[in-house]
Amino acid sequence: MSVVTMCFLGLSFNSYAKLGSCNDPILLGTTISETGPFSTLADKWRKMTEVFAEEMNKTGGVFVKNCNKKIPIKFVIYDDQSVPATAVSLYEKMATVDNVDFFVGPDWSSMGGPVPPLADKHQIPMVMANVASPSVYDRGLKYIWGTPYPVVPRWSERYFDMLATVDPKPKTIYFITHDNPVTKGITGYWSKKAEAQGIKVIGEDLFAQDTKDFTALLAKVRAAKPDIIYISSFDGPSVSLVQQIRKMKIKVMDVHHSFLSGALYKQVGDDIQGMTGELPWYPGVKGDYSEFVEAVLNKSNVSMFDYPFSLGRIGAYLTMTQAIEKAGAVDRELVKNALFKGTFKSPAGNIVFDERGFPNNGAFTVQMQKGGQVIVVWPKEAATGKLIWPSPSWQ
Amino acid sequence: MISIEVLAQVILGGVLIGGLYALVAFGLSLIYGVVKILNFSHGTLLSIGGVLASTIYATWGLSPWLISLLMTPLFFAYGYLFFKYLLEPLSKRNHFESTVGTVLITVGALLIMSDLTAKFAGSTQKNINLQFDTFEIAGVIISTTQIIILIGIILLTLGLHYFLKLTWFGRAVKAVTQDPIGAKLCGVNSGKIKATTFAFGSATVFLASILYVLSFPVDPYIGFGLTVKAFTIIILGGIGNLPGALIAGIFIGVAEGLTGLFWKPEWAPALSVILLLVILIIFPQGFQKSK
Repeated sequence: MSVVTMCFLGLSFNSYAKLGSCNDPILLGTTISETGPFSTLADKWRKMTEVFAEEMNKTGGVFVKNCNKKIPIKFVIYDDQSVPATAVSLYEKMATVDNVDFFVGPDWSSMGGPVPPLADKHQIPMVMANVASPSVYDRGLKYIWGTPYPVVPRWSERYFDMLATVDPKPKTIYFITHDNPVTKGITGYWSKKAEAQGIKVIGEDLFAQDTKDFTALLAKVRAAKPDIIYISSFDGPSVSLVQQIRKMKIKVMDVHHSFLSGALYKQVGDDIQGMTGELPWYPGVKGDYSEFVEAVLNKSNVSMFDYPFSLGRIGAYLTMTQAIEKAGAVDRELVKNALFKGTFKSPAGNIVFDERGFPNNGAFTVQMQKGGQVIVVWPKEAATGKLIWPSPSWQ
Repeated sequence: MISIEVLAQVILGGVLIGGLYALVAFGLSLIYGVVKILNFSHGTLLSIGGVLASTIYATWGLSPWLISLLMTPLFFAYGYLFFKYLLEPLSKRNHFESTVGTVLITVGALLIMSDLTAKFAGSTQKNINLQFDTFEIAGVIISTTQIIILIGIILLTLGLHYFLKLTWFGRAVKAVTQDPIGAKLCGVNSGKIKATTFAFGSATVFLASILYVLSFPVDPYIGFGLTVKAFTIIILGGIGNLPGALIAGIFIGVAEGLTGLFWKPEWAPALSVILLLVILIIFPQGFQKSK
């Protein structure tokens, strides 16, 4: 290939996106874990992201005051393969080759470590999606925000509210935690809350991602006889754990799973029945953008139960588009100012950022009942069914 | 204070998973003994076999035993062709090129097979979760599935051991392992024996995968970890020594369980690597008697 052709290709890349232009679409750069261990949670999000752009652009896109018109949005999407190093190189590429205007993503706390410094390096506002560990936001970075549902300090808030009202009351709890920054954060936070609520923590064990045989761990749990087993884990690593809890006939009032999802149900089957967990939001709950989000989910064939972190993703897109509108310009500094300590609308209530870019999002408590049916059981005013307590399937 | 019941439960679990590790190691041990190739994609065959078997079970509801009958010849054929067309040509190269080539091909196969399986069958975990009865003996929970798996492990070990001991193929394998040139002089077609051994190793790992998915879920990416465990087992138990591999597998399985019980469960999967390093330093010839 000649030097002239190379130069021409370079020029054409540079002309692909003009920052701040009123004539070109707003370029939003993101990576999705379409392959690798997190793909069970995200493999339909490329389509969902494309549908989001289609739905947004149906009415012209985002209103930008300085241009006095609506500007369509366009996503640049790559597969980060669930690998943080891959995500880092892709965000670098989007900043320097694709010249995206803003970043929306990535997900997962393991990516939340290495990726955000790139946003500060290139001074590109980044609204991450499902990055729930507060420590990610504690590094003094100026260009990052996040929209995880729920955040660690509010993860099981409603579950523990519910435990305060149930009869018989649980007295003891055993935490089993997947060795991952976010799940360890959940256990660290909620084990203290459990103690504060008068529920004694009688065991805490970590397990590695590759663990298949949980006999030793469960033999300890069985001997400890807790009232509640709290599993703080992503869906995949806990499949064998849930199946073995059943096989070892462990009797408790409840088994709670911090990532109870359709993906887990598909992998575990009926062994999951009777478990409780968290769900960020579900169609039918009315709020800002709820009809828009329902349309996006329906058209991309994404079920909130199968893909419970979809709202974190869509929340990032909604936040960024609202921030651009607030800023009134496709300008990175103005959008950064609009995001700082901002409040943005979402179907599950307002997303309110603190000075670190950390939100305040919570979740509903659900119970898996017969035939894979998911019932919202708490808070009472949002409940779609009655909590079965103690769950007969674990007796 | 750990009770006897808890200890017995952990040892039972360790024996079960250790036996499964040993089955993975059998094929690898045979292949290394005869072909002198470290097949890094060996454990990946178990994960792919497990995903395939689980998918067939979920889709058509075939019994695991029927799936074994149908799929084992396919894995045998895969192993034969893989060796014949990808690995055997490397034997004509010099030692360095041949060694590097086999590493590249087997590692490449590991990556390609994992990604293709994930692409077509998904990367979620799958298993054959048969809902058999579970019963309690003196506080120890034993499931019918565990008993079936234990019987399967014992039968497969004995079957393979006597097959290799009593048949012409077994004696030929032994001959090629001990003295390839001598075997050739006695009329053994070492090229054919090598290809057949590679195929035989691939078929046994599929049988292991059936027993594995009856108890534990698999995904397309778990293979390399199993290969590392299998390496540890063959170093401990001795190359080509199937009863030795079974004992070594059980030793690792029980050691992992006890690590989880007395120390920290998150360290259990790393134990085999630590053991491998310790053994290589303290017992460079493994636990078998040096000759």
